[in-house]
Amino acid sequence: MNYGYLLINYTEKIMSTNINNILVSDVMLATDSFPIVSQYHLIRETLETMNKFKLGIACIVDSNNKLLAVITDGDLRRILLASQKPLASFFVDDVLDYSSSYFKFVEPNLPLKVGIDIMGNHKIWDLPVVDNDGSLLGLLHLHPAINAVINKTMPIS
Amino acid sequence: MASQSKTILIGSDEVKQVKVGKNEPLVFIGGPCAIESRDHAFMMAEKIQTICQRIGIDWIYKSCYDKDCRSSPKSFHGLGLDHGLSILNDLKKQFKIPVVSDFSDPAWAKATGEVCDLVQVPAYLCRQTSILRAAALTSKPVHLKKGQYMSPWNMKNSVRKLESFGCHKILLTDRGSFFGYNQLVNDMTSFPIMKRTGYPVCFDATHSIQMPTSMGDVSGGQREFIPFLVRAATACGINALFMEVHNDPPNALSDPNTVLDIQYLEQILNQAKTLHELRLSFDQLYGEDNVHKYK
Repeated sequence: MNYGYLLINYTEKIMSTNINNILVSDVMLATDSFPIVSQYHLIRETLETMNKFKLGIACIVDSNNKLLAVITDGDLRRILLASQKPLASFFVDDVLDYSSSYFKFVEPNLPLKVGIDIMGNHKIWDLPVVDNDGSLLGLLHLHPAINAVINKTMPIS
Repeated sequence: MASQSKTILIGSDEVKQVKVGKNEPLVFIGGPCAIESRDHAFMMAEKIQTICQRIGIDWIYKSCYDKDCRSSPKSFHGLGLDHGLSILNDLKKQFKIPVVSDFSDPAWAKATGEVCDLVQVPAYLCRQTSILRAAALTSKPVHLKKGQYMSPWNMKNSVRKLESFGCHKILLTDRGSFFGYNQLVNDMTSFPIMKRTGYPVCFDATHSIQMPTSMGDVSGGQREFIPFLVRAATACGINALFMEVHNDPPNALSDPNTVLDIQYLEQILNQAKTLHELRLSFDQLYGEDNVHKYK
């Protein structure tokens, strides 16, 4: 019975929220709230930064804050299995060596629905937000995005 | 994605400048371990110069003015900073070749850099920040030897220290890694690993066959392995070859058990030069050696 109550409760909330009025910029995490590292960061430094924010992605930017690449928990799992080099060697590698420069992103003034669609279509949890010059402005994380849709506020971290 | 391969230029206008790096000819760095006397230094330089000119290989004269890492207090310590550097200075002017010496004290770096075209950081001191800072502040290219206790990937930390002090002309050298006590081995993967820093790499053949302090208070060595290791390292893609040579190894004042008798220098350099050229031709034919998505 409780499940039924919850379903009705959330359905009401979703129905009462006009998702088209919410923009990506309304919900995205600010740049001090998710892992950002430079192109010169080592893997170890990047892992520690990701741990600090408890997010499975790090954005790699150049000195002008242009988003160069991203690395995710999934990338790291695949690398560990494929590379097989000693951890001590892996830790001292540049993060840029293993990151992906072909990443999905979204612009801040688009409706949140677009961002959620992109994440859903690609089965990803995080979407960097960049302006039309490629500068990193924020990160759309799935949990705050869904919470915004269901009209619920929740601590970011 | 490895860093961009750099080529470093060694030597001022007053000597024959030497290029070390990708696609460049193999460079030889050699000489007696220690400067024994002015006459001996000049005699050795003349002999090596003759061989290198005959083969057609650029070279850098190496000899040290202070051997601070001797096993015994009774061992020859060197002629000292002023006397040694004055000999190197005169030698480079006469033979028009770049010269290199190591330094073991940050206070010696400035004077060393004023004479030497390449300043060398000893392997044992390769991670000492004060030494690396002093080397970088000379503004000369730095010859950084991998410590026998260091992994090749951790040399990146020393490289980053040098870079943070403004040095971007670095030559990284393998001189063997400790294999238990009193014994060294060469891990040939150290060359491609250290090359990923973007800087050229060098093989120190005569110290690689050293058996550190294996004779109680003096180091031994198995110099019979020098030709084998030179061939292997050259095939692995080194940019420079380092060997200490002497006209009379048993009576050398430093490293008598490891220095190469100069009578064998030409045949070894010839093989190294030929193998290096062969490897460069493979690079052109097949491109880079990466057969793996993850380095």
